Amino acid sequence: MDNLDKLIQEHLIRKAQQKTRRHFIKNCAQGIGGLALGSIFSGCDPLTNQKGKTGTPFTERDLNPLAVLSPPFNPKIKSVIYLHMAGAPSQLEMFDHKPVLHKLHGQDCPQSLLEGKKFAFIKGTPKLMGPQAEFTREGEAGNWISNYLPHFKKVIDDVAFLKAVHTDQFNHGPAQLFMHTGSARLGRPSIGAWATYGLGSENQNLPGFVVLTSGGKTPDAGKSVWGSGFLPSVYQGVQCRSKGDPVLYIEDPEGISRNLKKSTIDAINKINKEEYLKYADPEILARINQYEMAYRMQIAVPEVMNIASEPENIKQMYGVEPGKESFANNCLLARKLVEDGVRFVQLFDWGWDSHGTEHSTAIDLGLRNKCLEIDRPITALILDLKQRGLLDETLIVWGGEFGRTPMQENRGNKKMGYKGRDHHGDAFTMWMAGGGIKGGASHGQTDDIGFSGIEGRVSVHDVHATILHLLGFDHEQFTFEFQGRPFRLTDVEGEVIHEILA
Amino acid sequence: MKKKALTGTIVIAALLVVVLLYDNFKPKEEVDFSADIKPILNTHCISCHGGVKKNAGFSLLFEKEALGDTKSGKPAIIPGDASASDLIRRIKEDDPELRMPYEKAKLSKNEIDLLTRWVNQGAKWGDHWAYSLPDKVDVPPVNLEAGFASSPGPDFLKNDIDNFILTRMEDKQLSPNVQAEKNVLARRLALDITGLPPGESLFREFITQNLSYEVFVDSLLAQKSYGEKWASWWLDMARYSDTKGYEKDQGRSIYHYRDWVIRALNNNMPFDQFTIEQLAGDLLPEPTVDQYIATAFHRNTMNNDEGGTEDEEYRMAAVIDRVNTTFEVWQSTTIGCVQCHSHPYDPFKNEEYYQLMAFFNNSRDEDIPSEAPVLKFYSPDQKKKVDQINNWITQNGNPSLAKQYANFMSYTEPVNNAHDFVNFKNGSYDDHAALNLWDDGSCQLKDLNTKGGTTLFLKYNSGYNGTVLTFKQSSSEGKILARINIDKTQKSSILKIPFGKVEESFDLFVETNNDRVAKNANVISLYWIAVMPDLPGKANPGYGEINDILLEVLNAETPTVPIMIENPDYRKRTTQVFERGNWLLKGDTVLPATPQLLNPWDDKWSKDRLGLSKWLISKQNPLTARTIVNRVWHQIFGRGLVATIEDIGSQSDPPSHPALLDWLALRFMNEHNWSIKSLIKEIVMSGTYGQSSESTTDNYLADIKNEYYARGPRLRLSAEQIRDQALAVSGLLSKKMYGPGVMPPQPENVWQTVYSGAQWIESVGEDRYRRAIYTYLKRTSPYPSYITFDAGSREVCTIRRTVTNTPLQALVMLNDPVYMEAAYNLATIMDDENIEKGIAKGYKRALMATATADKLDTLLELYEVALEEFTTRPEEMESFIYFDKQPNAKKAALTVVANAIMNLDEFLTKA
Repeated sequence: MDNLDKLIQEHLIRKAQQKTRRHFIKNCAQGIGGLALGSIFSGCDPLTNQKGKTGTPFTERDLNPLAVLSPPFNPKIKSVIYLHMAGAPSQLEMFDHKPVLHKLHGQDCPQSLLEGKKFAFIKGTPKLMGPQAEFTREGEAGNWISNYLPHFKKVIDDVAFLKAVHTDQFNHGPAQLFMHTGSARLGRPSIGAWATYGLGSENQNLPGFVVLTSGGKTPDAGKSVWGSGFLPSVYQGVQCRSKGDPVLYIEDPEGISRNLKKSTIDAINKINKEEYLKYADPEILARINQYEMAYRMQIAVPEVMNIASEPENIKQMYGVEPGKESFANNCLLARKLVEDGVRFVQLFDWGWDSHGTEHSTAIDLGLRNKCLEIDRPITALILDLKQRGLLDETLIVWGGEFGRTPMQENRGNKKMGYKGRDHHGDAFTMWMAGGGIKGGASHGQTDDIGFSGIEGRVSVHDVHATILHLLGFDHEQFTFEFQGRPFRLTDVEGEVIHEILA
Repeated sequence: MKKKALTGTIVIAALLVVVLLYDNFKPKEEVDFSADIKPILNTHCISCHGGVKKNAGFSLLFEKEALGDTKSGKPAIIPGDASASDLIRRIKEDDPELRMPYEKAKLSKNEIDLLTRWVNQGAKWGDHWAYSLPDKVDVPPVNLEAGFASSPGPDFLKNDIDNFILTRMEDKQLSPNVQAEKNVLARRLALDITGLPPGESLFREFITQNLSYEVFVDSLLAQKSYGEKWASWWLDMARYSDTKGYEKDQGRSIYHYRDWVIRALNNNMPFDQFTIEQLAGDLLPEPTVDQYIATAFHRNTMNNDEGGTEDEEYRMAAVIDRVNTTFEVWQSTTIGCVQCHSHPYDPFKNEEYYQLMAFFNNSRDEDIPSEAPVLKFYSPDQKKKVDQINNWITQNGNPSLAKQYANFMSYTEPVNNAHDFVNFKNGSYDDHAALNLWDDGSCQLKDLNTKGGTTLFLKYNSGYNGTVLTFKQSSSEGKILARINIDKTQKSSILKIPFGKVEESFDLFVETNNDRVAKNANVISLYWIAVMPDLPGKANPGYGEINDILLEVLNAETPTVPIMIENPDYRKRTTQVFERGNWLLKGDTVLPATPQLLNPWDDKWSKDRLGLSKWLISKQNPLTARTIVNRVWHQIFGRGLVATIEDIGSQSDPPSHPALLDWLALRFMNEHNWSIKSLIKEIVMSGTYGQSSESTTDNYLADIKNEYYARGPRLRLSAEQIRDQALAVSGLLSKKMYGPGVMPPQPENVWQTVYSGAQWIESVGEDRYRRAIYTYLKRTSPYPSYITFDAGSREVCTIRRTVTNTPLQALVMLNDPVYMEAAYNLATIMDDENIEKGIAKGYKRALMATATADKLDTLLELYEVALEEFTTRPEEMESFIYFDKQPNAKKAALTVVANAIMNLDEFLTKA
């Protein structure tokens, strides 16, 4: 686990490999098509080589919607890795230490807490349930952490906790949409789409916004949580899969060699160039560009998605299982992706809905297993990024769509076979680590039983404002005109959470 | 020609000088509020002084507020006196602390001058152009001999549209392009009208002059494929999909609605009728089955089956979606903003939103998993039984009773759903489906009005024998109204029992007893109850049989489609304003009404969805006809006359051709009698449409967006057209119409929805090759290649698809097995002893054009490379066309070439 020498060595080899690969791609880009798109920006018609009278008004974006743009303010980070535990993990067994709740275990929940509240499944008067995990203070900052996460203490000083996040949604679908698009209703762009729209992609051979899922299911809210909403669809997340084609249709049909594919694209682009001369429509140039990019993606994507070629110690560090769909694999992939310049990597891990209806959703059983599944890979991800000097330019965000109740769930007004907690949006924990983040910080506090935030409450919009801030945007100014008005990720709310910024 | 152009320029230059001189001496003309003032206010002021924020008590949204007292105690605008008006003083202020707009750059000199003049001229408020429609628009004359630069010749001027277009072109000193070649026009017309390339014989007849342009257009409009093409456009707005959406995203059987749209378009149903039937078909007198199906337009809203969600919250979400969609579809207005506050830019008031909501808040659907109300489609045998019962009631009862029962058999309403029951003892409302009671269980339904009915229908199931189910008035002590013994059931079923007569509203008390089961066992799951008048003719012979048949019919499982049904009057919901859009904070009660700003309400209209639809298609409504002509224009030219096709209002782009927009709108209503086919025909018959889309860099740069139409449209095809065209040119396309969604090949593991066992089961036979409109559309996981080509997931109303150009599109066309199969089949058609001839044939078939020598060379070269590779490596060839029984290198190489043809920009584009 802590074999640093090996890690550093691996890093150097990796850098060398990357150089070779970039070299190759550059060459092949010239080999194919060979059209100098750059020339159009200087006011030259790329085909006739004649300078237009006034220069062309096209921007690089007109031909390549993923061209890099600089943010208006000084960015602290280049990329984001967002780890979403779909189903909503219990803060009370992971980060929010509540000894008083332990003492009150088994008592009826006070009526005053229930009045005017809505729960998804809790009926009547439920009983309070003490934490099912044990907590210790760890790291120099001495933040609390439970024994469900045995490795995480190694990186706890890199992390800033938000202990009193709140949301007004208490069903998975709408809450996930809210967490990722700033609205519980469909139709808004996701954070990753906003980031990619605002900044473009550093690597033109990979999608700018990549989504990786684990746990056997996609999120409850479906693909809209990485959708582009009213932004052009090119900014939506591209789901990269561990089984089948990593990106849909990325593999050549069987029997088509790379060489033949290159000849095919050459022919297509040659004819398209002839079309351009006839129509002068820059969309044709953009298409030529996209076909070249597609060819390069066919090499770059399977390569970046292949974790088998990683050194053994790295695989061990994350606990990966090549060929399977796992959260550990996805963490390692996330590192590879940001290393290669992907702007936004979104991980969804399904299976955190600990209602206590069965073994896998019991707070003391299934939840513990889920924690063990993520503990090692997340710790490895932070350490690995750090070793490579990438943690400073990457933001890691961890959280669910809401938290869970201090009360034990009593679905159907009955005592249930396993220990479970219901959905709860009043107070839950999220954390961030990486560039611009004050490691070891802990912001916000909940009441004695972890029911509500009593200090440092932050909203989902605040979290979004903070992510955009780190990327170099003022969330109030970063807008897109749609249906006659400017829209923004944070709607009309949101404040940057300065307390966790370095 | 050149000389003329030069003369034209000189004339214009001379005119310009005159105009400039005149400008200096003319009296200061009146400032126009809509054209000059409103844009300044919207850009600089209204975000702080508008519908959302009213800083310092000052708002510029409505006249009354703008001229009224502010927090300072006096108005900020004194009409006629700019020097006394704070508004003017503050914009001229030098101190940045005091100057408006606050913390922003000072307004320009011209803007300040305009505002000052406007106040001095009396600060007259004006209607925005979008909210009034002129009675008549004259076609601008075009003088062919005028000697202007753009003198077009008779080639361009084909109908009145061209006069409008040419006039604006002259303003911009542009001139029309030449007309496109016939083969190009044939492909353009066919793709625009039918979504497919033209059929071979029709194409030949047109090219060889046997068919006139007009007859060619008429033949395309008469094809059934017309309805399939234009239905995609409408279904985006109707948010049609084959699933319910949200977390579980289970299937929904609503394809009858999709088929209704295709048929209505093909039958050229006038748009006014098209509107009424979809918004209020159920409220028409004696609605037909088709009119009921049409109302599924507003049943395309999502239905949330996620565990733990509140049905009422999602019922409200659906109602809100209906209000928003109706206004987006018919009025080009984003009314959704007004849900929380008065519109930030457009003069719609907060309460007006809820007045509109009141029209939609009275339908029976309540976000339950069964999606009730659903219209049942009885088989002919079942239909005979339904008729038998209807006859019995007509003979033994009265027409109103007959209607009540007929409706109950067709859509099982009105019922009281399980989620309305409260006060549970030993039981609970089981999430989303039924209420469950245990032994000694009870619950209540508040304020039930049975209208004195004495027959109770209930839908239930049970896993136990021997439960006594009792219905009482008010409480456990109340009068027993009905009692029955419930035994174990195979599946949920509908029962009918006598019920005690109660005339007034009362609380219904339900209790269960079964002391032979475990304490927490659910002895009954109850889905709904309905109290009705008795089936008449009890004393007459045959009653028993009719009674049995009635239950048989009610319990019959049939295909269904969700429909709109209104609550009976005595169960009407009240609608209240939601404070700041929060459905839990209810404010003042409102009644149905339409926004004051728009056309007046006619008192002879009923205050329901039917009245609302009549208001929308009133010839006084300034937005409906404009909205439709603008969007049809957009479908054809890729750009609306108002470019923001989702928004025609004070925040929209101004129309590029205001007079043409109005002329088309008036003509659509008055001359074409709302015929969409006539509208399309008029547009495609114009010389504007017929222009070539070829251009030069200079010409292209002169009007990048083609806002002035000095060239023909050149647009990437839609996701649907791309699939359909590939299947058509390769000869695979099935002509089969209608029916449940089909599942053409898609990669494995694309569907991974939580809590849903639904699977993508690849269609076999011709269903694999149906048009894209029939592809099963799952909201949380739409067909991947369509999404890549910018089709939406239809979760909410989509007015416009953003057209993108991405590498993922290239990957679909190059690698998707669907397109490979199409390429292989096109290659079969190309197979010719003379390869060059074969390739030329393939190109022509795909693109309706003869390949240039250069293109042919390029494709031939690709063929040679592929042939060489497949000949030297036969195993590659065999795995490439593995489905071919006698694979050979030539066929494989031709498949590569066919695939390249289908990847050409010109194939993916309508030029």
